[in-house]
Amino acid sequence: MRVLVVEDEPDLLGSLMKALREDGYAVDGASDGDDGLYKAESYDYDAIVLDIMLPGIDGWELLRRLRKTKKTPVLVLTARDAVRDRVRGLDTGADDYLVKPFELLELLARLRALIRRSASQAQPRLEIGGVVIDTAARTVTCNGEAVTLTAREYALVEFVALHRGKVVTRTMLYEHLFDETDDTLSNLLDVHVSNIRKKLGHDFITTRRGHGYAIE
Amino acid sequence: MIFHSIRWRLQAWHGLILVVVLAGFGFTAYHVARDNQLRRIDQDLDQRLMALLRPHPPDRPPDRPPDWQHGGPGQRGGFPPNEPRNDRAFGSPDFLRHIREAVQQGGALDPSQTNIYYYIMWQQDGSILAHSPGAPEDVPAPDRPGPQALPARNALAKPTPPEGGPPMLPVVRARGQLRELFRFGPQGDCILVGRSMAPDLAAMRRLALWLVAAGTTVLLLGLAGGWWVATRAIRPLEAISATAVKIAGGDLAQRINAADTDSELGRLAGVLNSTFARLEAAFAQQAQFTSDASHELRTPVSVILTQTQTALSRERPSSEYREALEACERAARRMRNLTESLLQLARLDAGQEPMKRERFDLSRIARECVEMVRHLAAERSIRIQCDVPPTECLGDHDRISQVVTNLLTNAIYFNRDQGEVRLSARAEADAVFFAVADTGQGIPAGDIPHLFERFYRAEKSRSRIQGRNGLGLAICKAIIDAHGGSIEVSSQPGAGSTFTVRLLREQGPML
Repeated sequence: MRVLVVEDEPDLLGSLMKALREDGYAVDGASDGDDGLYKAESYDYDAIVLDIMLPGIDGWELLRRLRKTKKTPVLVLTARDAVRDRVRGLDTGADDYLVKPFELLELLARLRALIRRSASQAQPRLEIGGVVIDTAARTVTCNGEAVTLTAREYALVEFVALHRGKVVTRTMLYEHLFDETDDTLSNLLDVHVSNIRKKLGHDFITTRRGHGYAIE
Repeated sequence: MIFHSIRWRLQAWHGLILVVVLAGFGFTAYHVARDNQLRRIDQDLDQRLMALLRPHPPDRPPDRPPDWQHGGPGQRGGFPPNEPRNDRAFGSPDFLRHIREAVQQGGALDPSQTNIYYYIMWQQDGSILAHSPGAPEDVPAPDRPGPQALPARNALAKPTPPEGGPPMLPVVRARGQLRELFRFGPQGDCILVGRSMAPDLAAMRRLALWLVAAGTTVLLLGLAGGWWVATRAIRPLEAISATAVKIAGGDLAQRINAADTDSELGRLAGVLNSTFARLEAAFAQQAQFTSDASHELRTPVSVILTQTQTALSRERPSSEYREALEACERAARRMRNLTESLLQLARLDAGQEPMKRERFDLSRIARECVEMVRHLAAERSIRIQCDVPPTECLGDHDRISQVVTNLLTNAIYFNRDQGEVRLSARAEADAVFFAVADTGQGIPAGDIPHLFERFYRAEKSRSRIQGRNGLGLAICKAIIDAHGGSIEVSSQPGAGSTFTVRLLREQGPML
């Protein structure tokens, strides 16, 4: 899952990106409105964390322009807590609203819920054959036994599982699993898939040659 | 208490005035009517008395009209002449006989009226010479009036005394329900005409009752009208009061609907409305200030929370803890900076930060402040030109330093790279002008009026990155205001801005 954080306070941006990365996300950051809008329009993020008071175009304007082209889930993060600010945020196209100062755990939970909802998945548990993926706890069990996955491996499994029944192209995987700072070689993706097959069974992920991967 | 309401008080006063007016009117009307009635009775009695004195019709040829000098058509031969005819001398045996006959026959009475009127004649020795058939037995003989005795009623006929005798003035007296009028003859004999006033007194009582009834009706109608008028007069007041209650309840957007702005209450409503508007603006400003202040505090709090929560989420190398702690320190410094600014503003607002009055050299302050910001300017290759001649000022050295430093850092932050900041000063007779000019982008004209407002930022949130809390210029203005001076800004978009401080040289109205 790849998210964009738009926040002008450098220390807050840094710690948010760090926390999200450690939670298994691929994270891009932007410290002003123009940069944020450019990135938000250029990539298919799974979610955007958006501050409102920004240099350049502010968060409202960014949201308004983004909504002309993209449906990316947006979580607005702001110090303005008046009801009319919240109403305005949601009416402008925000999907959720969190007031500063916030609890990191709440932000992460809301982000997970946003991504799950945008994949039309109501439950935090995904069951595929004997494999159960708990997206809230970020754990995977295979036939009742816990399986240890690296963060990348888990992200790949979760992404393909959320798109169950559809073909996930390599480009999509690159876009959603790696952020702009990752210097990833293409064969690394094959390494991850190979490791997952070792842990969850060879038939868990099928390869559509020339297209990508899929979970039936 | 409802009886303390304006409506009730108006009603009470209205009722009181109505009662007094109606009572006065009724009393006057009653007395005028009574006087008129008595006068009519007295005239009637006197007419009858004079008719007695008049010679009998048989003494005159019947076809001749009475040769009265004046008088009009009236009852029983009309008004008598002003004086008795002298064809028989007053008091002569012939005259007395005539009178006695006249009295005994009832005088000029209808038989039907003998129960109302009566006549009595006394001789000069007090013995009754004659009386009419229905006369009461116990009528006391009148006393001969002294020279000061008042005439009965000024409207009565005043006969001239015959042959130089004493005047025959009519005198009136009331005995119970009887009213009697008498005249003395020149020889001391006396004729009295009396009548019962019972029907008249009954009519008076009816009149009085009628007046009371009418007065009560008018009073009730007046009170009802007064209530209606008071209600109408008070309705705008009630509207004002209802609006004020809503405003007191916290809905500051309420206004009094003052349709008739020319009336007294309309003007009051206008004054109240403008007061409410100012109150609302003040409250909105206060709310905005609180909201801005909390907003400014929330960002550093968020930094500390996220940094610590991220750092504590797992074991880390010490360098990562160090980074997190450094970020927390920066956030804490920012909060300290903000709270100190807020506290200083609050103290300046409350007048709790008295300005010292000391003489200092403005050029020294300028040099010190330039030294303090030199490294900041060097980072962006900005040149600072200090062009301040030695100038003596009066005020608080430390606060003025704060203002100069603030203006200088602003001039650096909002400058372009390789730009220039220029300090200058000039002294006039009563004031010192001190200016800080930059070569930045200038300030949009729309922002200038708000520049000294708290948390106002010309360029939204741009300055937050640079660690400014949006209170610097507000504090500058508060300090300069407390010195009795003024601070102004002029700006040319694209060319730069100049902040000019005016400080009084001598004893100003320091606050």
